[in-house]
Amino acid sequence: MKLQSRHYAFLGLAVVVVAAMALGFRPQIKPSPETTRMYQYLESLPEGSVVMVSFDHEASALPEIRPLAAAMLRHAFSRNLRLIGVALLAEGTGVGYGLMREVADEYRKEYGIDYVFLGFKPQYIAAILSMGESIPATYPEDYLGRPYRDIPMLEGINTYADIAGVVSIADGSLTTHWIEYGNNRYGIKVAAFVTAAMVTTYDPYLSSGQLYAMVGGLRGAAEYENLIGIGGSGARGMLAQMVSHWYVILLILIGNVIYFRDRRKGRGR
Amino acid sequence: MRRRIPQLVCGFVGVLLFVLYFSAHPTAGAINQLILVEYWQIIFAFTLILGAVGFARVSLTAIERGVDRPYRIAGLAGLILMPVLAIAWGIKGDSPFMWVFDNVQVPMQSTVFALLAFFVASASLRGFRARSVPAAVLLASALLTLMARSDIGSAFSDYVPAAADWVRNYPSMSARRAILIGIGLGSLTTSLRVILGIERTWLGGGGK
Repeated sequence: MKLQSRHYAFLGLAVVVVAAMALGFRPQIKPSPETTRMYQYLESLPEGSVVMVSFDHEASALPEIRPLAAAMLRHAFSRNLRLIGVALLAEGTGVGYGLMREVADEYRKEYGIDYVFLGFKPQYIAAILSMGESIPATYPEDYLGRPYRDIPMLEGINTYADIAGVVSIADGSLTTHWIEYGNNRYGIKVAAFVTAAMVTTYDPYLSSGQLYAMVGGLRGAAEYENLIGIGGSGARGMLAQMVSHWYVILLILIGNVIYFRDRRKGRGR
Repeated sequence: MRRRIPQLVCGFVGVLLFVLYFSAHPTAGAINQLILVEYWQIIFAFTLILGAVGFARVSLTAIERGVDRPYRIAGLAGLILMPVLAIAWGIKGDSPFMWVFDNVQVPMQSTVFALLAFFVASASLRGFRARSVPAAVLLASALLTLMARSDIGSAFSDYVPAAADWVRNYPSMSARRAILIGIGLGSLTTSLRVILGIERTWLGGGGK
């Protein structure tokens, strides 16, 4: 097989990422105002407040979602907030439960007292609206099959009015539905941890205040880890992403130099 | 009659859900809850069955014709294996279902997603060129954003991150808002057309 320019580009990317990870260089990351706002929001909640964490993502985005979710859960558990986990996409169910259990164990939190996972409910719009009317009717039992009414942490929690806010961890447009139906219809405060590709989608909602706070991408995860002072995979993932960006910038510049040089010679299209 | 009855059902449910959404009456809340929790979920279950049957039929036809045979067989095997594992051992914690999910589906999906980086690398070398003024503007915006997000921009000047923020907060946000308003108006119009029976393509037969 004859190697073409794109093959060299692929090879270069692999070399750049592997080299950066092997050297273990740690980028200095300054928290952005958006990330700081999220941090301050969780800091402002009194101990014992109940927050709903919605795992609205698929497995494909896990390398980016996991550091975001872990940073959020670590902050929440370290602040002694009580968490209700739900999933509005089927693939978020196993991932969400596993992550909650893993981080809860780090902080010695007890299932049913400090956190609970209600599991997946299909048809996300229906699920969001339905929880606005009654959470126990929407989830008669938790992910492990325990009746809702038998779980001590859920005593007195019936609708969004009984919880402090919803944090959507998303790789797509599901946060929009939390904003449109959870916030607009029922007035619940919505915040989000989203993949970098979704950041500009939610900018208008953040700017209008319908989305209270947002942390985006691996950079956001690394910034958040900085703020809470707990290391995680965000900073390491950010390093790979950062050197990839540098490499892409270099390729764009090389591509344009070649293009203009060829055009000057009369061979450019 | 075959078309009239679904149209009437659709129109009635559309108006009912609209009224229930804006009503704060407890009875309206109870009816809303019933529709959202029970009926909507039943419809969802049927759509899943429909999807699975459709996938199986398409795959079997392709296997018969010898088109993409190994991939079709792997797809069908997954379609059969996952429900069997779920029914036999459940889907919680350390079940075989979750093992397959964690060790097969998650790595495969992440791998496919990660391949995007290589496509971007190839596209940035071969396709992302300042061939015209609009292309040059797009290129400059992309470079600014990339430089700002990867901290390389602040090494040159503090104006680079500031310029990237300006691009994100003004031109990008304005375009996004215009798109959102367009989507909203389009959804409203389409919903009204479906409820009033003007839009009938969802019944099949090209709306005739």
